[in-house]
Amino acid sequence: MTIRGQFVSELSELKGEIMRLGAMVERAFDETIEAIRKKQYAKLDDIIDNDKNINDLELAINDKATLMIAKQQPVASDLRKIIVSLKVSSDLERMGDLSVDMAKSALRLNDRINLEKFEEELLSMASKAKIMIKAVLIAYRDSNVLEAQKIAAMDDDVDSAYGKFIQSIFEVVAVETGITEQVTQMAFISRYIERIADYCTNIAEWIIYEVNGKRFDLN
Amino acid sequence: MSSLSMSTEVPVKKETKDHVNKSVVYDTKNLNLWYGDNHALKNINLPMHENEVTAIIGPSGCGKSTYIKTLNRMVELVQDVSISGEILYRDKNIFDKNYRVEELRTRVGMVFQKPNPFPKSIFDNIAYGPRIHGIKDKKILKEIVEKSLRGAAIWDEVKDRLQENAYGLSGGQQQRLCIARCLAIEPDVLLMDEPTSALDPKSTLKVEELIKELKENYSIIIVTHNMQQAARISDKTAFFLNGEVIEYDDTDIIFSTPSDKRTEDYITGRFG
Repeated sequence: MTIRGQFVSELSELKGEIMRLGAMVERAFDETIEAIRKKQYAKLDDIIDNDKNINDLELAINDKATLMIAKQQPVASDLRKIIVSLKVSSDLERMGDLSVDMAKSALRLNDRINLEKFEEELLSMASKAKIMIKAVLIAYRDSNVLEAQKIAAMDDDVDSAYGKFIQSIFEVVAVETGITEQVTQMAFISRYIERIADYCTNIAEWIIYEVNGKRFDLN
Repeated sequence: MSSLSMSTEVPVKKETKDHVNKSVVYDTKNLNLWYGDNHALKNINLPMHENEVTAIIGPSGCGKSTYIKTLNRMVELVQDVSISGEILYRDKNIFDKNYRVEELRTRVGMVFQKPNPFPKSIFDNIAYGPRIHGIKDKKILKEIVEKSLRGAAIWDEVKDRLQENAYGLSGGQQQRLCIARCLAIEPDVLLMDEPTSALDPKSTLKVEELIKELKENYSIIIVTHNMQQAARISDKTAFFLNGEVIEYDDTDIIFSTPSDKRTEDYITGRFG
């Protein structure tokens, strides 16, 4: 294989690794939400433990990218691909951490108190974020600027759902007693979901930078 | 030679972002050059600015060495060369009948790929040019030699052996000696044709550092095959391909977001 051919294949491997990291982060998020929906709190410990694998893979991606820069001294779009891989993997790793935070908050919920209405809203917000994660990973895989740009509108949806959720929590907490701890954990979870959606938007911006060489604020 | 009608004008940005106050040293306008029937330079339009390093990059045979040799009219030493268009050096067309080529070469020094010291002492290598220009006073010559060798960042290495033969220096030292030889006649512009391609990495670094220092006082045009070198030391980069200027811009832009796909393909190693 030519030197250039080898580099191209390394770039493609790098992207493959990030897609693998993305799949792990997506699964951690999905499983956390499923555990909350089904009240299978025992599962949450596994999700927290598995975060180590996400962290390890991110470090491995960093090492690989650093070595590629050192050995190939890439420029222009080649360099952007590697820089973006570092940025995207870092954002994905943070999204993994936020799933862990969600799982920890969920462990503090208990089902003695009926919070169905809130749960419904929370899960609806989570399913919007889930679609964003999937969409941004596909856009990254395909270096698709048009799809990346659509992420911003999706993020607006999540932000507005988050705003409404917090508002409704305030209204209930003001009149009901004994649910503060539960509701606070739910507020945390909703905040983590909103942050995850923000990271998806960040990644979408990196996709645009990778392709066009220009930073573009989607927020 | 009748000039060919050129249908496609190469888009070259005349003024890049920080050029507003910098004067143009060389301005090449619609330059065409043929070796016999071989159209080696095609409608070149390039400005080069004062106190800047302009790098010329491109694959072998793209015309970059021909171009740099045209800037001091050395290319005319090749048989069967014909030229059309203009190169303005300090606003005067160097191809004008009345233009004195000796004067041009006094103002524009050249450093070649392979160091080419004279088979003389280190001192005499540097004093050669000034002596030709009629300077005989030993004290003045000594001063010029020291100043030039200091300017080329080699004084400390050779000050105690100025009477030794220049061939005894290492390749990197010889190249810096050749740069010092250029400086001795106090030129305005330095042309460098792959000045580090025959040097080891350490000597290359020294010459690169020197180039960065020299641009404070000189305008430098460097042909290089080393992309990273162009990226490290130049302010502007021109990409040549098949005798044409494909793109000319700030070096930062050429190496991050070039506008022509052929530039991108070349600098990322997809061809060339």
